Amino acid sequence: LFEEVAPSLGAPTTELEAVDGKIQVKGNPAKSLTWKAACAKLGVKTISETGQNVPREAPKEGLNTGGVGGVQIADVSVDVETGIVKMNRLVAVQDCGTVINPKTAESQIYGACIMSICGALMEERVMDAVTGRMLNNEMEFYKLAGIKDIGEILVHLEIDETNDKRGVIGLGEPPVIGGIAAIANAVANAIGVRVPYVPMTPMNVLNALSGRMS
Amino acid sequence: MQPFEYASPKTLKEALALLGGNWSDAAVLAGGTDLISLMKEEVLSPRRVVNIKEIAELKGISKTAAGIRIGALATVDEVLSSPLVRASFPSLTEAARGVASMQIRNMGTFGGDLCQRPRCWYFRAGFGLIARHDGKDLVAEGDNRYHAIFGSGPARFVSASSFGPALVALGAKIRIASPSGTREVDAEKFFVSPASNDEREVDLKPNEILTEVIIPTSGAKNATYEVRQKDALDWPLATASVALMMKGSTVVSARIVLGHVAPTPWVSPEAARAVEGKVVTVETAEAAGKAAVAAARPLSMNAYKVQIAAAAVKRALMAAAGVKA
Repeated sequence: LFEEVAPSLGAPTTELEAVDGKIQVKGNPAKSLTWKAACAKLGVKTISETGQNVPREAPKEGLNTGGVGGVQIADVSVDVETGIVKMNRLVAVQDCGTVINPKTAESQIYGACIMSICGALMEERVMDAVTGRMLNNEMEFYKLAGIKDIGEILVHLEIDETNDKRGVIGLGEPPVIGGIAAIANAVANAIGVRVPYVPMTPMNVLNALSGRMS
Repeated sequence: MQPFEYASPKTLKEALALLGGNWSDAAVLAGGTDLISLMKEEVLSPRRVVNIKEIAELKGISKTAAGIRIGALATVDEVLSSPLVRASFPSLTEAARGVASMQIRNMGTFGGDLCQRPRCWYFRAGFGLIARHDGKDLVAEGDNRYHAIFGSGPARFVSASSFGPALVALGAKIRIASPSGTREVDAEKFFVSPASNDEREVDLKPNEILTEVIIPTSGAKNATYEVRQKDALDWPLATASVALMMKGSTVVSARIVLGHVAPTPWVSPEAARAVEGKVVTVETAEAAGKAAVAAARPLSMNAYKVQIAAAAVKRALMAAAGVKA
């Protein structure tokens, strides 16, 4: 990138630095291009680089793949006559250290929340004991939540210096995990009985309420 | 999918001449929302597919002297949007709303809904209506969570029809054409519980086409209630359709029909007796729900459906009578 912008700044690449969202001549913020303006110099070119981190040196480099954390809070309503669980609201606060792209990080968490709802309430492989076949090997009976089944989902990312300094922490699948447990806890709180299986389908909810083994 | 001949006749007479004496000869294609899936899974492999969508006389919804006529090719969406239907038969409008995807409502037809094959996953996997394998009764010994809680015959799948229970409650008549003429069947008699894999779930022969349904307007208060887990793209766990003849707020006579709990729409005289001569309240509706399921015989996994069926009856009665929870 320095090679692309050096001509506009009238300095050799060795005299450039990246500071505070700008590419500037070392020590001279007045002679600089914003990140956006610098990237615009690329035109249709792309810059692709690959890096690597050595796990035992991660604390020094500020990169790590551990220490994932998050909190999910679920608000549900349960129709105790039919066993149907309705999602009112799912709140997710995910700890992922340095956030590079808040929009896509949020989207990842929204998607994970939806999959939590599916995992908590709907998804399962139904295997037939006699023939060994998967009985619900299509979208008809392998149930996934639709747009009106997910309620309100609120995602919060805490973006500040403290979290930036914690380095890069994983965000892929982890946000799914807490949501399933939160929804299960919310159902138990709502009906006073623990549904000991996920998905908490009407069958499993009614069986738990009636003390019946499924 | 196996290769097939395709015909698209413009008249009913031509269409009937293209059907055969056996189910494997030809299949009728209306919206295709069920037939195409069955053919892709090779549960059905008709030698000829007869598209009936160009036959004008099978379309439309209209008022007649006898009541309302709904053509077999009226789409589910046309039924849903019809002010004629909503004015007299909100139970049918609600049943149409329960066909839970816009795409299916646009293509699927009224007649097709009545004739659709069961959703039973053993049937769809090719094991037949009375699903057996290696001498084992697959439904009884396997996963029967979505199967029947009523029925004395060997069939244990549930009727998938959305409109069936409401039509049975309303005393509708189903008209069927064959090369030799037309016949009319009470909706209640149209749905049958097959005793073997060679029979079907409806009173229809391979060379017949369901042409229209006549629903008599009787002034009955009617409603449908469906219990389903997902808002869309999901089948109900149980439904109930009711038609009540009222004198003031007292029920004079009731027809209460359960759906998705038996191989056919399931008429409940027990539930009817529980409300006849009474006012519909939360208590009487709940008692009717309990009466409807008193004789239920659940399988190993579907006892939960008994409670859901009772809830459907209770809520359908309350909806029909305008009683709030």
